[in-house]
Amino acid sequence: MSKLAATIDAYWNKGLAFLRFAAHALRTQLTTLPPRDAFVSQFVDAGWGSLGLLTMLTIFAGLNLSVQSYGSFERFGGQDLIGMFAGIGGVRELFPVMAAVVCGARIGANLAASLANMRISEQIDAFEVMAVDPMRFLVAPRLWAATLALPLLCGYADFIGLGASYLGAVYQLDLDPGSFLTQVQDQVRMVDVFAGMFKGLLMGWMVAIIACFHGYTVKASDGAEGVGISTNLAIVHGAVLCIVVNLLLSWVMYG
Amino acid sequence: MAKTEIQTHGLGSGPGAGTAGDAAPAVVLENVSKSFGDHHVLRGVSLTIRRGSITVMLGPSGTGKSVLLRCLVGLLKPDTGRVLVFGEDVAALDETKAKDREKLFAIRRRFGMLFQDGALFDDMTVYDNVAFPMRLHTDLSEAEIRERVIDKLHRVGLKGGEQKFPAELSGGMRKRVAFARAIALEPDIVLCDEPSSGLDPVMSATLDELIMEMHRSLGITFIIISHDTAEAKMVADTIGMLANGHLVAFGPKEEVFREDHPAIHQFFARETQGPIKVV
Ligand SMILES: Nc1ncnc2c1ncn2[C@@H]1O[C@H](COP(=O)(O)OP(=O)(O)O)[C@@H](O)[C@H]1O
Ligand SMILES: [Mg+2]
Repeated sequence: MSKLAATIDAYWNKGLAFLRFAAHALRTQLTTLPPRDAFVSQFVDAGWGSLGLLTMLTIFAGLNLSVQSYGSFERFGGQDLIGMFAGIGGVRELFPVMAAVVCGARIGANLAASLANMRISEQIDAFEVMAVDPMRFLVAPRLWAATLALPLLCGYADFIGLGASYLGAVYQLDLDPGSFLTQVQDQVRMVDVFAGMFKGLLMGWMVAIIACFHGYTVKASDGAEGVGISTNLAIVHGAVLCIVVNLLLSWVMYG
Repeated sequence: MAKTEIQTHGLGSGPGAGTAGDAAPAVVLENVSKSFGDHHVLRGVSLTIRRGSITVMLGPSGTGKSVLLRCLVGLLKPDTGRVLVFGEDVAALDETKAKDREKLFAIRRRFGMLFQDGALFDDMTVYDNVAFPMRLHTDLSEAEIRERVIDKLHRVGLKGGEQKFPAELSGGMRKRVAFARAIALEPDIVLCDEPSSGLDPVMSATLDELIMEMHRSLGITFIIISHDTAEAKMVADTIGMLANGHLVAFGPKEEVFREDHPAIHQFFARETQGPIKVV
């Protein structure tokens, strides 16, 4: 029982530490400009670096939407509804969420690993001793990069995913191109795309703050093992949070 | 952990010592203790570092030499005691308060620090690592910075290779770049955590000469952690010895040698038996 209490206590303290870290980081992020070079390199890393993975995944997901829905709708002669299905299911949920979770995991892992490595090799201490605020120079650029890259990736995923659905429907399943496009036009409004991007914005920040927390607070004495553990925690906690927050947001926006 | 009974030497330690005649001391530690859990690393260390002195702190591995340096710049907070740097108590500053943090940063700008493993910034070139503090804290033009960076790198024996990244350097080269970075702003106090370990004897001697040269020409106060008794003999004017969390000897080099303290003797004679025990 006392072991349980100790565990709960440890989680409680960790949670408090996280909230303090997040508040400090957010304050720094909003009140100071991050150094430009650091931001640009982080942004390129997060955004450009995720494009290959995201393109491949959304092409398969888009094709899959068409193929799967064709199988179901065909039974009652509704194969023409594929455009609607890909439009609603894809643009409102699948593509942006996939982008957020997959790219979020990739970005979060990178952020946590890089900060943890800087912690164990005393680079963060070196910043401190040089009278440089590591929150401003290391954490804020990472937060901004992820927060701005992820919505763009979500928007990008919509186009690639929908394009792949279209190509699958028209060239693989021989559906009428005009009907697909009409349905997409009828069902998907630009605001749905923006809603997906907004989700990406929120999730980008959350994934990044969790990853930065795990990386930044790793104990220097844990060494390389600490880097691995913090990276792992960043991915797991970030992905769980993405799914939960997505559900909540969908409720609020479409429920 | 080595468990030994060692008397604390009063030599030159304690507040006020070394102040006679010259300017206010650079650093004064008063009864500084630091534990991690139930592991007592520093147990009541008091010492005074004169402005413009070169102090070499000796001691076996794991006795808290690095912890002591980290307390000086506020990277660690001692559990008890005062850490006065140019009269300001670093240990009393609360980093979460904006005002204290500013004070702490103002003090830190007077320090340069060579970390034990260099702590070079991985994502910057050698050049940018050394230029970084200058770009941050001075109004120098990029041309002036360039001149100084190249000068500092030449002084530590690095010609060419400015555009290399730390990962492409050997351990000894990284350490020299880190030293160049530590002295980049020609600060008042330079802390060196084992500058010579990992360097070949010739390079190590070159670095020692550089330390003495910087000391002579700029009056920089050096606090150097070392295992290297030859280095201590060569560069130090003050020698300290830390063992089991106690400052067992501290004072002017000649006095410390003359007193022939058992721990110092053991260290210099490389004897396995003595007050310092390896368990
Ligand atoms: N941040 C820390 N947390 C816990 N223990 C630490 C920490 N820093 C140092 N220690 C412990 O304090 C002792 C002294 O460390 P250190 O000052 O690095 O020794 P050295 O004299 O070799 O430089 C070691 O046993 C080390 O494990
Ligand atoms: Mg050490």
